Amino acid sequence: MSTTRQDVRAAVAFERFRKVFGATVAVDGLDLRIPEGSIYGLLGPNGSGKTTCIRALCGLLRPTSGTVRLLDGDAHADRARLRSRLGYMPQRPALYEDLTAIENLSFFARGLSVTDPETRARELLGLVALAERAAEPVYGFSGGMKQRVSLACALLHEPPVLLLDEPTAGVDPLLRRRMWSTFGALRDRGATVVVSTNQLDEALHCDRLAVLREGRLLAEDTPASLLDRGRARVTLRRDGRVETFELRDYERELPALLGADGVESVRVERDTLEDVVLRLVEEGEA
Amino acid sequence: MRAGHVVAVGRRVLLQIRRDPRFIGLSLLVPCAIVVLLKLVLDAWPALDRIGVDAGANALPAGAFVVHFVAYVLAAIALVRERTGGTLDRMLVATFRRGEIVLGYVVGFATLAAVQAGLVIVTIALLYDVPRLWARLPIVLAVVFLLAIASIALGLLVSSTARSEGQIFPFIPLVIVPSLLLSGLLIPFAELSWPLQALARLVPLTYAEDVLVPVFRDGSPAADRLPYLALLAAYAAALLAVASLTLRERE
Repeated sequence: MSTTRQDVRAAVAFERFRKVFGATVAVDGLDLRIPEGSIYGLLGPNGSGKTTCIRALCGLLRPTSGTVRLLDGDAHADRARLRSRLGYMPQRPALYEDLTAIENLSFFARGLSVTDPETRARELLGLVALAERAAEPVYGFSGGMKQRVSLACALLHEPPVLLLDEPTAGVDPLLRRRMWSTFGALRDRGATVVVSTNQLDEALHCDRLAVLREGRLLAEDTPASLLDRGRARVTLRRDGRVETFELRDYERELPALLGADGVESVRVERDTLEDVVLRLVEEGEA
Repeated sequence: MRAGHVVAVGRRVLLQIRRDPRFIGLSLLVPCAIVVLLKLVLDAWPALDRIGVDAGANALPAGAFVVHFVAYVLAAIALVRERTGGTLDRMLVATFRRGEIVLGYVVGFATLAAVQAGLVIVTIALLYDVPRLWARLPIVLAVVFLLAIASIALGLLVSSTARSEGQIFPFIPLVIVPSLLLSGLLIPFAELSWPLQALARLVPLTYAEDVLVPVFRDGSPAADRLPYLALLAAYAAALLAVASLTLRERE
């Protein structure tokens, strides 16, 4: 079953959102709707405005102009009411290093008025595979372990909206895959997961992507459609000669090429999502 | 304001203090060491008697300064860590409110200050000949408690201007030097010129010494100083309110 965007309510909507810090324009008139119950990727190089978008959704920033809507309210004006329904994972782990993993989680659980904070904290440490390290102070943890504790903090109250700022930075590939399957499971239970990343390979896990550069939206689509914007390089061996073609729409153009006489072998190299996004970013620079 | 949230912040602050032996050493042992050092210096300075300075009468006003100094610096450092480490943002997003965070800090650090003040008072009682110390204990405790709250508030306030722990250091003399010179501890407040008196009114220690100096140096009845105690309470409350405004999310 496929759903179009109009069928689904937006969990998040940026409308002409602009945020200026001193002389720096962090986000420049962004219009974006993030459908409920999806994994939505904010993709872009450093300084593209991803963190500003996420912090604005947490109500930590007031838009310079435009509005940022989250669920049924204004992300900044209604932050006191909305925050109990969002889970936030900042870019840096943001934990109390002298405290143990369980003490960190129990503290934030008390803030979120979770019933039985300790039990819930233990449950989540199990989820992020740190149950055995629960009683150790966080300062002894590796970067990836801190990220996992930080993710657990964001999940304490089972929020309907998760805002994750580069959640997999410093996490090894195996755990990264597990984190993404956790995000998938959360989405399947109806949560909206907004993830910022500059890891292009990870973006394929998202249902939709927004490609940002210098605070502007370059593209907004599903990963598959973005991939379709990529080019294909076709190398043909025909009558003993090697010829290469660059095709913009290879699904339509390739049959014609292959239909010619004397084709002995063919090799097709398609753009990866990384190629597509990097080209978008470069074109944005030009 | 939810009491459970205030207690959660206070408990967490105390837990962090307990986990950091340097912090405990700095906050509990150093004040006592300063009191001992002061005693040794004063004993080695016989001229003191001749010019009519009574070490015993000055011990508690000096002890208040030590408590003020330590509470101010430690609260400032703790909150800068909180701001720069991102945990302040995380607390706010985890629905802790500004007032709850500030009061939680007061609960945590005032508990520390209470232990600290207890140790300083006992050290002073053992080393110095303080006239009628035990009879005056209630007013001493009240002053030290309110002064600790004002010091914590001042620390929170100063932390809002710093982007790293290192940036706290210039603010230490900014508060401590005027406190030492203008509060009435070294130079009688009444003898300062009016601009200096106005300046002195900005530092919390002045309000504490308004109570302690007359009681211990001049033998004023404690009851006479109650209006000044109320002034100290009002100052501490005002400073707390201002400090809680600086916890506003960066915009």
